[in-house]
Amino acid sequence: MITLTHLLVVSALLFTIGLYAVLVKKNAILILVGIEFMINAAILNLVAFGRYDGAGYGGQIFALFAIVLAAAAVAVALAIILNVYKHYNSIDPDDINDLKD
Amino acid sequence: MEHLNHIPVIVATLLVLLAPFCAFLLAASLGERNKSGLLATIAILISLCAAIFVFSQVWQGETIHRSIRWFCIGANEFRVGLILNNLSAVMLLLVSAIALPVHIYSMLYMKGDPGIHRYWMYLSLFCFAMLGLVVADGLLLMYMGWELVGFASYLLIGFWFTKDTAIKANKKAFLINRIGDLGFLIGLALIYTQFQTFDLIALFGEQGLVKHAEPTPHLTYAGIAFFLGAMAKSAQFPLHIWLPDAMEGPTAVSSLIHAATMVAAGVFMLVRISPLFDAQVLLWIAAVGAFTAFMAATIALTQQDIKKVLAFSTISQLGFMMAAIGIGQYGVAIFHLVTHAFFKCLLFLAAGAVIHEMSHVKEKYQLDFDPQHMGYMGGLRKYMPWTFRLTIVAALALAGLPLTAGYLSKDAILIYAFEWSEWQQGIWKIVPLSLLISSGLTAFYIARLVFKVFYGKLRLNRQFRRSFHLHEAPKGMLYPMAFLAMGSLFLLYSFNPLVFEDSWLLKGFEKTASLQRMNIYHTVVPAAVNGVGIVVIFIAWRWYARRKYPLRRLKGWLYQFSEAQWYANRLYEMGVVKPLLGFSRSLYAFDRMVIDGMVDAGGALVRSLSQAGRWLDTYVVDALVNGLGYLAFWLGGQLRGPRKGRVQYYMLSMFVVLLMVLLLGLKLV
Repeated sequence: MITLTHLLVVSALLFTIGLYAVLVKKNAILILVGIEFMINAAILNLVAFGRYDGAGYGGQIFALFAIVLAAAAVAVALAIILNVYKHYNSIDPDDINDLKD
Repeated sequence: MEHLNHIPVIVATLLVLLAPFCAFLLAASLGERNKSGLLATIAILISLCAAIFVFSQVWQGETIHRSIRWFCIGANEFRVGLILNNLSAVMLLLVSAIALPVHIYSMLYMKGDPGIHRYWMYLSLFCFAMLGLVVADGLLLMYMGWELVGFASYLLIGFWFTKDTAIKANKKAFLINRIGDLGFLIGLALIYTQFQTFDLIALFGEQGLVKHAEPTPHLTYAGIAFFLGAMAKSAQFPLHIWLPDAMEGPTAVSSLIHAATMVAAGVFMLVRISPLFDAQVLLWIAAVGAFTAFMAATIALTQQDIKKVLAFSTISQLGFMMAAIGIGQYGVAIFHLVTHAFFKCLLFLAAGAVIHEMSHVKEKYQLDFDPQHMGYMGGLRKYMPWTFRLTIVAALALAGLPLTAGYLSKDAILIYAFEWSEWQQGIWKIVPLSLLISSGLTAFYIARLVFKVFYGKLRLNRQFRRSFHLHEAPKGMLYPMAFLAMGSLFLLYSFNPLVFEDSWLLKGFEKTASLQRMNIYHTVVPAAVNGVGIVVIFIAWRWYARRKYPLRRLKGWLYQFSEAQWYANRLYEMGVVKPLLGFSRSLYAFDRMVIDGMVDAGGALVRSLSQAGRWLDTYVVDALVNGLGYLAFWLGGQLRGPRKGRVQYYMLSMFVVLLMVLLLGLKLV
């Protein structure tokens, strides 16, 4: 029997893996992948809690919206990474440190 | 309808006042363009004509009193208006009649003076002030005129303001008159607290408040205070010292001050408020007057400056007037005031003419001598015969010889004084004797002046070993003097040259003190006065005209005492000025040392306190705040360390903080 807890644990693992990737990867594409992981963890949560929405399918609908948004975000992020690469000749986030004072 | 009858008189009186006032305003607005003095002279001529009309209407008529509301303080109404009775009519006439010749004389005398436009302005103001004082119906208005007279005389005495002595003299006159003004003011206040009115008629009239008031010490004090005022204005001992110094002004001004305007104000004021005085105050007035008359006469004996002699003569004659007031003979006081005004003004104008000629010689030959010193004059009757003749008339009037006005008025004072002394005890019998002696001295000093100036030889010739030629004064100066000489003769006052009681002027004033007529005095006193007068004139003639002066080696302490003017100035210097200056200096030192020291110490204390506060602020409060800031800055720098600019590190820190916040939040919940 798969309970809400199992789903939440999976979601937490997904989120943690995504966070790990965002914090340590030296490649912007992989960071983006990490972000996707975290979004998907959140979507999984939406679906999991959607079960308790007896009247309709709010959780699933919300998940669908989130997937679409994530896709759009990925498109924008990839475009930004491309531009960053053009500018810095690198996609290592450690090289992109112009924000420091 | 009854009050309508007086309208022409009221209008004429206003004209008398306003003519010089308008002249003053016009002169002030014209400034330096007004050099001729025609304006002021025409104004005073208008005044004189109007005054003659007023006099003809008012003399021996009923008292005219008109007033309008001036202002209110609370429920107290103050009124401003005119009183026209015998006294004010005579004074109006006298002031304008004396002022007119002085104005005409001044046109020549002051010709070419660089400040002449100011001269005419001040002169008009002076006349206006005196005329206003004379007709004022209330004490307050009178006080204003009184102050204005003092102020105008201050301006005129210091007319040659580049002369140091003139400035000192006018300051002295002003300060001493302030003492008198204070007396007047105190008297004013006392009267007002007693009776709640300033109206002269209501106070001192026939049915006046003062006559029916209970005799209280306040009234005596008020009388003394008013007398103090008159003492300063009319130069009575010990406040007489300003008058000789006032000679620093132009001679024409001196003649006006001494005759009709300034010094007459004191006598006039005392006569105006005469019902106020009780027997005690009157005794004091008589004593001060008699003493002043004697003192000034002795000083006049030895003065060398021609104007100083005349100045002390004025003081002496004012003493006579005061004594007349003191013995209750107010009418006689005014009578003497009038006659004295004519002959003293004439004497001053004659002296002015002589001084004018002497300084003319001085300027022409570039000599260095004092043109007012009688030691350089002598024999002037050959050069200035008309001035000489006119001076003789005035001198005889001053000495009180028959056929002159001075004879009538002075004998009146002396006779009444002797009659009065019959009723007095002990020491007060000195008063008439003192006056009699002063009268003899008067004859001597004026004879000395005439003989020294007009007889003998011109001492200037011997002094500079050359022959000078002096000229007669111009006609424009002689005519005014001739006019005054007419007023110095008996004819103007009485058809009987020997009996003063026939004088119309005396009949205009009620006899305030009913003295028993003692016929013996009416023959003995004039005889004594004239006998003594003729004898001393003869002595003076021998001494000064015949040059048989006996005292050349005998200039003893009496002579010096007289010449130094009884050391009055030195006494004031030592007794008043020096202690006052010392006191002021000690106050100044106290102020500097103690008060300023305290203030400075307080300032220094506050200063050091605030410095400590500033130190505390800079090094403790600011340091704490700055230290915290630096600490945070340093800590931030330290924490940021080598990972500067690394986005992932920032994100990690954010995550950690978020986690901590969440954990803490969970804990708290």
